[in-house]
Amino acid sequence: MITPHPPTLFDMPLSRRQALGLSAASLLGPLGLHAEQIKKQQRACILVWLAGAPSQMETWDPKPGTGNGGPTKAIKTALPGVSIAEHWPQMAKALGEVAIIRSMVGKEAAHARGTYHLHTGRRMGGPEKHPNFGSVVAAELGDTNSELPNFVSVGQTLSSGFLGVKVAPFIVNRAGQLPANVSTTVTSPRISRRLALLKAQDADLSEAGAAALVEEHRVLYERARRLMTSPKLKAFKLNDEPAARQQAYGKNQFGQGLLVARRLVEAGVPFVEVRRGGWDMHNSLFTRIKPAAAQVDRGVASLLGDLKRRGLLDRTLVIVAGEFGRTPKVNSKSPAPGRDHWARNFGVMLAGAGIRGGRVVGKTSANGQEVVDGAVSVEDLFQTICRAMKIDADKELYTPGGRPLTIVDGGKPISEILG
Amino acid sequence: MRRLLILTLCALLALATSAADAQTKKSGKRRAATKKSGRKAGKNKSAAKKPKLPPLKTAADKQKFLAAIRDSMPVRRAGGNIRYTPLDLDRSLEYRVGRDRSYAPVINDERFVRRVHLDLVGRPPTGNEVREFTADTTFSKRPRLVDRLLTTEAYARKWARYWKNVIFFEATANRNRTNPQALEDWLTEQFKKGAAWDAIVAELVSAMPVRDKKKKKEKNDWSQKTGQNNFVLAYENKPPLLAAQTARLFMGISIQCAECHDHPFDKWKREQFHELAAFFSRGKYYMPNLDNPAKKTEMKPKFLLGEEPPVKLTIHQRRVAIAAYLVYNQDNYWFARAFVNRIWNELVGDGFYAVDSLGPDQECLHPSVVNRIAAVFRYRKFDPRWVFRLLLNSRAYQRDIRSIDNDEDLFTAVRPIRLNSAQVKSSVLRLTGANRNISRSVDREFRFDPSIPQRDLEGTVQQALFLMNNPTLQNKLNQSKLKKRLVKIKQPRRLLTQLYLAVLSRQPTDSEYARGRKHLREVPDQAEAVEDLLWVLVNSTEFLTKR
Repeated sequence: MITPHPPTLFDMPLSRRQALGLSAASLLGPLGLHAEQIKKQQRACILVWLAGAPSQMETWDPKPGTGNGGPTKAIKTALPGVSIAEHWPQMAKALGEVAIIRSMVGKEAAHARGTYHLHTGRRMGGPEKHPNFGSVVAAELGDTNSELPNFVSVGQTLSSGFLGVKVAPFIVNRAGQLPANVSTTVTSPRISRRLALLKAQDADLSEAGAAALVEEHRVLYERARRLMTSPKLKAFKLNDEPAARQQAYGKNQFGQGLLVARRLVEAGVPFVEVRRGGWDMHNSLFTRIKPAAAQVDRGVASLLGDLKRRGLLDRTLVIVAGEFGRTPKVNSKSPAPGRDHWARNFGVMLAGAGIRGGRVVGKTSANGQEVVDGAVSVEDLFQTICRAMKIDADKELYTPGGRPLTIVDGGKPISEILG
Repeated sequence: MRRLLILTLCALLALATSAADAQTKKSGKRRAATKKSGRKAGKNKSAAKKPKLPPLKTAADKQKFLAAIRDSMPVRRAGGNIRYTPLDLDRSLEYRVGRDRSYAPVINDERFVRRVHLDLVGRPPTGNEVREFTADTTFSKRPRLVDRLLTTEAYARKWARYWKNVIFFEATANRNRTNPQALEDWLTEQFKKGAAWDAIVAELVSAMPVRDKKKKKEKNDWSQKTGQNNFVLAYENKPPLLAAQTARLFMGISIQCAECHDHPFDKWKREQFHELAAFFSRGKYYMPNLDNPAKKTEMKPKFLLGEEPPVKLTIHQRRVAIAAYLVYNQDNYWFARAFVNRIWNELVGDGFYAVDSLGPDQECLHPSVVNRIAAVFRYRKFDPRWVFRLLLNSRAYQRDIRSIDNDEDLFTAVRPIRLNSAQVKSSVLRLTGANRNISRSVDREFRFDPSIPQRDLEGTVQQALFLMNNPTLQNKLNQSKLKKRLVKIKQPRRLLTQLYLAVLSRQPTDSEYARGRKHLREVPDQAEAVEDLLWVLVNSTEFLTKR
């Protein structure tokens, strides 16, 4: 349900921005945008984060009829000879658009560490706090003058580490609602009255020796107001999406989150993360998987279809991943069995932005306990993602201490799925 | 007994360099150790030659041993009557910075009282505190205010919180296995009772948290409730992390790069890093071979300046040894200086060098000044309050603010400093009253790494949005006691004075008074006008700034 929101500042005329000393020129930057930059900016990424770590055998790598397979059946897909778990009928049809990696080899089997590894491409525990990959994308591809933040996350996620607050994720707690604190009940004339007073108040401090801080403060307030008054803010809301489309994505937090992600990408946001928790199924896996998979199956398939129809899939990378996989052996926990943590082989799905659809990377053994072909490390995955996003993985980023760190440390892109 | 321990200390520190020297000491040590343990010399010859150290398994034993080393430090006995006053500091600093430069004037009482409250007790002063202080006409009221604030619990809490944030900001450990609050509480207790910095650090570094065997089944019980265990726990008790963090936090030195490669500019080599890490190891410690992961080299504990334990140490003894080499080591001037530099950085907005990233050959501005303060700090038995008194009573601290763009201008003025989340929180909550929702938002939106230099910090759009529009905040401000009180005041002068004192801890200037009066006249609804003015001050740069 979309509830009516308090009046926003959509209708504010530009003259009030001038009250803050803002001009059109300062909005666009002195030179406008470079052609190459514009081209790069067209790349975007939606990360569908399945928090808790989904079971590879109940997703992309089922092993029906084997000792480890459990009751999960396999279904045929759009690709001849390729089957996935029965819980993913819509994705089975969409498989021509996506590449599945069945041979991810991780190194972390604890949630915090796996989340860190799969979000940063680095292992936790060094002296540095590495940035969420979304922050890297925001820094590399984002438009510093954009009204919307360059990294939005529907749900909590890892922060920007040493890249700092400018590219930190902008968190939206509930899909379909405006981000916190962007709307106000105060009338427009009153706001401009206040801002005029604020300008005078700060001018005094600026003269008293804090010019640099005051200037920074002014820029932040300007950006805050640009966001508050931006027509693009409606990308966070869903009321102009047809009911049928909302239905298609799934009328739940996750489905609506994906729809918001598509809208944000359309509005120019280069990185959006959408989190769907509840995958840590140590027990009762075979019943709990059903509603969880149904939501994600429907949502992601609709997202891919929608992106494609709008011509956005060619430039938008969709990643579906969790922090690791789950034990091939079914445990005997009560009240019903499940699978525990397992990093030695698990699955990731990629689509769009030039990723070749209809490919399956890697193979696991019949009992699902090891990778027998085409092992992909987390670093390989990040190299692949960088290639698809047209980001130079070898570029050095500098920590505040001046330490240079490449965006990805080692690894090779998976050439078979790159166009 | 004391002499005995000193001799044991000598064994530990291995200060002797010449072989002959070492020989004589060794025999002394042996005698001492034998007497202490009350046993006869070991059965075989090699055992007989080795000095025997107490096992130091418990925290209490460690502290007792470290205290004995502490008491034997020559500087402690020699340094009793060395004087170094704020005036001495200013003279030497101004000599180094250049006497012909233009210095910002010393601030007035109103400004001083806010600054010193924010720095010592972590909150702005109340309107009454400001009025009382400015009205006070007695001599030396500034040093007396400093002295008084230094005895408060709030002072201890403020700086405990600072060090907790410093330690935990880069912490990697699972949150269930650490207890930052316990660390903060323990540090508060230490600062409150006036504990010396050396003793505090020695206890943090030598901690060896063990899982209680009885409680082993209790998930995630790593004795983190004992506050002083949390430095080690924050870095997962892992040798390379502890080595890097010990150097970073307590010596101001950045050596983490040396974990993987020899740093081209620094003196510290890869081997030295791993020798330092070896102190924190529970067994043998190996340096990985970067070319061939199968090959590794065993490393023996050795401190950064080359100090080596003369005997094989148990894991517990190693922790005590690293603490002693770090803290009670006359060659390690980095230890005292790192503390002085951090406090200076917090108070003035710039350090003599970036607080945690000094390479030994990298620049330290005006080294003679900071080295001198650090040396006297050591003579003053590492008393943190001495450092605060020295700095807060100096002109260097009490100067007016100015934007500072290059290193030559450093310390001719004070940099306007961004308030941290705790200071912002106290500034907001004293207007709105206690509120969990607001507290949590401020904690989340305004937190930053206290080790990052002020000039590199940035505000965020979310901070602006929060202060402008947050419904709870706006609601609480509009219904606050302050607002209700102000609305009833008829005289603009009184109203504005109370408003500025309550929000910015100062009287309005003439132009502020004129602006405010005009606004009160133009807006017919007094309540609305007051809300506007309150909003403006809460959203002003000054509200978030120590000026």
